[in-house]
Amino acid sequence: MISTVKKIALVATFMAGVAGAALGGPYDAYKGKTLVVNFPAHPHYNAVMKVLPEFTKETGIKVEVDQLEYLKMREKQTLELTKAKGDYDVIAYVVFSKADYVFADQLENLARFFMNPLLADPAYDPADIIPGYMQNIGEAGGKKGYLPGPTASLFGIPFGAETSILGYRKDIFEKHNLKVPETYDELLDITCKIPKLEPGMGGLASRAASGQHASHAYLLHLAPLGGKVFDDQWNPVINNEAGLKAAQTLKTIVDCGPEGAKTFGFAEAGAAFLQGKTAMFLDSTVFAGQVDDPSKSKVVGKVGWAMHPMGVRRASQTGGFGIAIPKNAKNKEAAFLLMQWLTSKKADKLIALQGGNPIRFSTHGDADVNAKFPYMKTFGEALKYADPDWRPIIPPWGKINNDLGTTMSKVITENADIKASFDGLAQRTQATMKEAGYDTWK
Amino acid sequence: MQAANSHRLTPYLFLAPAGLVLAVALLYPIGYMVYASFLDWNPSQKINEAAFVGLRNYANLLVDPAFRESLWVTIKFASVVVSLEMLLGVGLALLLDRKLRGMTLLRTLFILPMMIAPIVVGLMWRYMYHPTVGTFNRALKGLGLPPVEWLSDSNWALVSIIIADIWQWTPFIFILALAALQSLPKSAMEAARIDGATGWQQILHIKLPLMMPVLIVTCLLRLIDAFKVLEVVLVLTNGGPGLSTEILSLRIARTASEFRELGKAAAMSNYLLLFLMVLTLAMFFYSKATERRAARLRAEAEGAH
Repeated sequence: MISTVKKIALVATFMAGVAGAALGGPYDAYKGKTLVVNFPAHPHYNAVMKVLPEFTKETGIKVEVDQLEYLKMREKQTLELTKAKGDYDVIAYVVFSKADYVFADQLENLARFFMNPLLADPAYDPADIIPGYMQNIGEAGGKKGYLPGPTASLFGIPFGAETSILGYRKDIFEKHNLKVPETYDELLDITCKIPKLEPGMGGLASRAASGQHASHAYLLHLAPLGGKVFDDQWNPVINNEAGLKAAQTLKTIVDCGPEGAKTFGFAEAGAAFLQGKTAMFLDSTVFAGQVDDPSKSKVVGKVGWAMHPMGVRRASQTGGFGIAIPKNAKNKEAAFLLMQWLTSKKADKLIALQGGNPIRFSTHGDADVNAKFPYMKTFGEALKYADPDWRPIIPPWGKINNDLGTTMSKVITENADIKASFDGLAQRTQATMKEAGYDTWK
Repeated sequence: MQAANSHRLTPYLFLAPAGLVLAVALLYPIGYMVYASFLDWNPSQKINEAAFVGLRNYANLLVDPAFRESLWVTIKFASVVVSLEMLLGVGLALLLDRKLRGMTLLRTLFILPMMIAPIVVGLMWRYMYHPTVGTFNRALKGLGLPPVEWLSDSNWALVSIIIADIWQWTPFIFILALAALQSLPKSAMEAARIDGATGWQQILHIKLPLMMPVLIVTCLLRLIDAFKVLEVVLVLTNGGPGLSTEILSLRIARTASEFRELGKAAAMSNYLLLFLMVLTLAMFFYSKATERRAARLRAEAEGAH
């Protein structure tokens, strides 16, 4: 694990010296302090690394970054957060860790920082941050525990967040006079037409590998098709009509997909699209940065972007990372200043220009950002429909997610009967939920 | 009296440091695992915050279809790879137990797969199994045969990881079997040859029985290892498709990190430990029994003279 740790100390002492005279106000008290932060190895955070020296220059606060592979990061944080005195002042967490960390009371409630006039920047404009992201990644304690609502509070701020978007080959669509799919019916129709129109090419690149990947791909279709994993009383409803339709949808997509699609993970699905083996791609916005990079992509300049198609409603996914202050952090105030700076309008734009994923509407509409990444505007549009409840974020989710992923994989690879498989899944999920205490009030 | 007592204690005194190291290094972690298996413990809790649930984890596992499927996959995998590896490894050893030019080089070549890090082995085979650009499917295509879904068909996936494991671990059996062969008493071989035993008879009635003690230990070591294989499967299929290649150690790793159920993961590890212990003991008693039988036969033979 140590070997994967990339410790980069951003010591800009001379810069701080130069800027020293100009420093004033909120950052003075923390000048010269060093913050230790834990970030994942992820395109967004690679962009952040390029912008961080700017923070040190502006504030005199040094930042030491511990960058880890994201699953490793979660394991390390789990240990780190149970210590009496932690090493990290700021952590980036995967969205599904929210449930675990907040439930174990390991993250600072951000209210006391936003109330503190010495720390909170009045120009911060939180309403500009995409609500779907804020609700999905930052808030907890509202409806069903993991959603916003009258009883919710804020524990983190989205940073490196992503939604789902449809990428398509403009040249192929033009050649065959196809219309960019707006709805799921159109999407499925085109997906299965492509292999006939362009022999050797698959319709849509999707993940399907057993476990997390298949589950993610399934949930991507479940929300727009009007389904949910649980109803409001925590009963699994994944085997209702919408749930089964989502499974059939994914199966159709994989069947009409490129060769080997049954075991694609995120990377393989992306690679298939970049290698020109599929005409469409429907997954995370994180992927978009690579499409026009000639060293990775054979489809430079040929890709157009559109919103996640609509089923009975529009609902694109919300996910990715947020940043938070651990309860056992040593420099909480300075940590808040860093968080606020990183998610400010200014830094959001700087990071976006370096290829990161912005979290603000203003950045998505920004002229400079769009000049460099023309798809940002479409992403901004899509984000209005970002659904914070496209999957539940509760402690037993890891287990249910895995079961969903293997069940879906059996449907895809073994042609297991969808109805029977999902009835079984719902039954097992009910048992897991019971074990976790979700039927206490029934 | 006092002196006699202290004399009697002396050996224990000398044994004490070793005993202490054993207790700290071996028994403590195992004890910890056994204790953890009685808890409902998630990794965000300290161990003393976890609730004691007695045998609930063990009981739940027994009726958990995913665990049972995973156990079955593991048993299938381990028994197939170990029998094939034993067959191939011992066969190779019998073939190569002779003086040939460049033998040392050949032997080194044979044991190379064993020295490669399992993650690398996994990656290598994953590329070879790739549905379109992989070596195997391209070879099949070249021969005009239909491609095989090596890793995405639930029947083939297990076969694929079995092939990769055999490739990597046959050399282990080979090298131990060869060492055993070369240390066999020359006199027995000579006697057999003089008595006119054919090659097959020599192998079946002289070499194999004499090698048996080494082979049993080798087999046991491989079996224990096969039950714990993780990396190659992780890289090749990650347990999929479905649960078709989700071997027990992968399920344990998942239970601990993805499902965050440390207690249940510990209970699974204990089931595995128990299972392996039963196997080891069975092997141990079997070899004891054969030894005793051999000794009796020898005694009878000597008595007859």
